[in-house]
This record gives sequence, structure tokens and C-alpha cells, in this order.
Amino acid sequence: MKARLLSFLVAICLAAPTLLAETAPTAGKPKSWDWTGYYVLARTRALQGTGLKPVNEDLDKTIIEHLKPWAKLKMEATSGDADDTGAVCKADGIFRNPPFAGRFLWLPSTDMIAMVFHEINTAGVHRIYTNRPHPKNPPPTWNGDAVGHWEGDTLVVDTIGFSDKSWLMSAMEPHTEETRMTERIRQVLDGKYIEIVTVVEDRHALTSAYTYTRYYKKQDSIEWPENICAEDLGNWREWRKKALDKQYRESKLVK
Amino acid sequence: MRHALVIFATLAFTALPGFAQARKSAAPPDITGVYKSISSKTVLPGGLKNSGTLADLPLTPAASQQMKTVNLNEDPAKVCQPLGPFRMMARESTKIQILPVPGVVAILFENLSHGLIRTVYTERGHPAKQSPLWMGDSIGKWEGDTLVIDTNNFSDATWLNDAGAQHSNALHLMERVRPIMNGRYLEYKVTADDAKALTKPYTYIRYYEKLNSEIGEDICEEQE
Repeated sequence: MKARLLSFLVAICLAAPTLLAETAPTAGKPKSWDWTGYYVLARTRALQGTGLKPVNEDLDKTIIEHLKPWAKLKMEATSGDADDTGAVCKADGIFRNPPFAGRFLWLPSTDMIAMVFHEINTAGVHRIYTNRPHPKNPPPTWNGDAVGHWEGDTLVVDTIGFSDKSWLMSAMEPHTEETRMTERIRQVLDGKYIEIVTVVEDRHALTSAYTYTRYYKKQDSIEWPENICAEDLGNWREWRKKALDKQYRESKLVK
Repeated sequence: MRHALVIFATLAFTALPGFAQARKSAAPPDITGVYKSISSKTVLPGGLKNSGTLADLPLTPAASQQMKTVNLNEDPAKVCQPLGPFRMMARESTKIQILPVPGVVAILFENLSHGLIRTVYTERGHPAKQSPLWMGDSIGKWEGDTLVIDTNNFSDATWLNDAGAQHSNALHLMERVRPIMNGRYLEYKVTADDAKALTKPYTYIRYYEKLNSEIGEDICEEQE
């Protein structure tokens, strides 16, 4: 009896610091909220047999169907060579990369989750703040201001405050500073994949919101393959000069 | 029974928050946060200040000669290209965000074009075979409160300083990063070794102040 009591007391004492430590604030977060890892977009073929299916895989087609007339005209007048900032290793925002290239590091911390895109030069980092609402008047930026909260096992991310410099997809579909992007992010198939259901609204550029779903497979290792846009500096300069020259010529024609 | 009480009292003491804190102090410090390098004119309490400038590197004759042939308009800093960790960490007002997660300490630079991201792997050694990298291959381990980062396998794409000093693919960096003054600052000390470019290892120290603000969006191309 004495021995049993002693064992019980020992167990309580050893567990106490751990128990105390685990009462750290995790309010609202599901039990397994730490999705740390490196994720890669899984397309339809790679998802065969999983029961998962991307929605609106041809995103250009979907977006174009939702463009207002002025936005469609602007898209048609825009050059995919001269005006595609991403093609010359400049920032191009966060609309195009996740549904198309879609490789990212998921790095969570207490107050913020960073999605670091592999094409970091162009898509940059999607920082999702979980400790604050949007500022009253966020200054327009390429990647906007993103805040997130948990609804059960789903992280709901609301992003506003975009500048109008980026394109919604590869056909150079324009948007305005009124764009709002909502992402519902959750783990599926025992954490093997992350599912992101995205809704994009813009009352000035779109007739109604469009939506798409993508799946990203968690890689076995968190190893980040280095990606230097314009690795070959010589070629890049030549390519960039051509693009900028073309842009300049076209701007003169418009005038 | 008396023995049992003594043991209980001892163990109960160890469960007190103070003891738990002491146990925690053996764990690496949490360096998560946003930091900005201080000005070279700033002196912190205790006389701590930045030391070493990249203008006085002990270059080998060959590296000095090569530096004279460099076109300074090709400087990666002028064309929004990555500067590499040695040069980037030395710059005044460099803003970084440190995010440690299991297996990696990620260092994100506010100026993504120049800094990109550094991934310091904490649960593996250097790979035996790997293509040369602009940012090198970084592995890290904690020595008490200091994160020791060992970086090799650089390509020769980046420069050592604004004057165009080149390094070779033999560049090796040893960095020591530790929080000081209750975590209000980070002390960053790096020693660069490159038998082809430097006559002897070169060390500089920078202090980074922890900020309460968030990291912003610093688009290099918009400053051109």
C-alpha cells in the first residue's frame, strides 16, 4: 500500500511541470494545429484513389467567366510578356502561385502562421495573424493583410488590403484594391494533405465571387529546395530588358 | 512512511513553478520574433556595439586583383538579387523574422529579394553531395543559449562586400546567435573562412534589436 502511494505521489510530482506547461494558451485551436512541414500541390492525377478532387482546376476559365466587362477589356489589352511581373522575377502577389505552382513551407508560431512560397521572390510570404483583427485601413500591399481564426479543425483566413498591381491568374485578369480572399484550410487524410478552399470576391472587377479547391501533399522532409529566380543573371538581364523595352514601347503607343 | 514523506516533499518541490522554470532554462531560449540590426553608431549597455566592417576583409592577392575587375553595376544589391547571408546580416537596418519549428530555424528577411529565406536544419548534418547553393547549406545546434550555425556548400554567385570582393565555393561560415538583455537583443557573431579568397578567417559582430512590430512587405523592385 505504502509503495503504491509512493508511486502515485512520484507520478503526480513528475507530471506536474508538464501539466502546468501544457496549459499554455491554445484557445480556439484544434488539438493538432501544428501542421509544420513542406507541402506540394497535388494535381488530379496524383490524387487518384484518395477521394480528393480539386475544384475548378482550369482557374483562368473560371475567373474570366466572372470578370466584369471593363476587367475583361483590360485583360485583353494586357500583355502576358510585358506586364507579367512574375516572369521577370518581380513580385506578383499571392493569387497565382498557390493554385498553380503551390509549394510552400508551413511555419506556425503562437500568433502567426507563415506560408512561405517556394517562389519566394515573386509570391513572397503569406503571413496569417491569429492574434489580431485587420487594421482599420491597411495600406495596400501585394500580399494583403491576412488574419485567421479557428472554426473547429479549420483555419479560416481572411485577406484584404491588396494593391491592384497583381493579376488573379496567368491570363492577366485584373482586380482592384477591394479584393477579398477567404481561405478555409484544414488537414485531410490524417494530415497527409492540406485542403484549401478559396473564395475570391471583388465587387468592382468580378460579377460574383469565384471559388476553387486545391490539395497540397505534406512531404516526408521539411527540406526547403533553394529557388533563386533568375539564377543565370546574364540570361535574366537580357530577358528582363526585352520585357521592359516592350512594356515601354506599348505604354508609348497607348499615349 | 517517513521516507515516503521526504521523497514526496522533495518531488513536490521540484513541481513548483520555479523549479519548472529552472528545468526549462536548460531548453534552448525562444528566439521567435522580428529583429532589426542596430546602427553602427549605437552603443548598448555594457559597451556592446557592432564590430567589423566588410570593407576591411583580409583578401588574398588573387581576390584583391579579381575585385578590381568587377563591374560594380553588377552588384546583386543593385539588381534585387540575393546578397548571401554573410553580407546580408552585416547590413544596417536589416530586418529579419526568426521562426523556429521542429527540425528548422527559419530566418525570413523583410527584403525578400536580397535576403530570401535561410533554413537552418537542426536535426541533420550536411548532405554528402549537394549542388552549390546561393545561401549555402546551414545546419544548427544549440550550445546552451547560443544557436551555432555551420554553413557551407556555397556557390560563388554572391559577393562578400559592396566593393565587389568575391568569395569562392570554399566559403564556410560559423555563426553564433544568442539572446542578450532578457531577449531584447540578439548578438550575432559570424566568422567567414575561405582559403581561396581570405588570408585568414574574418569575424564581425552585429546586434539585432527585438521589435514589437510586425515584419512588413519590402519590395526591392519598387525602390529601383
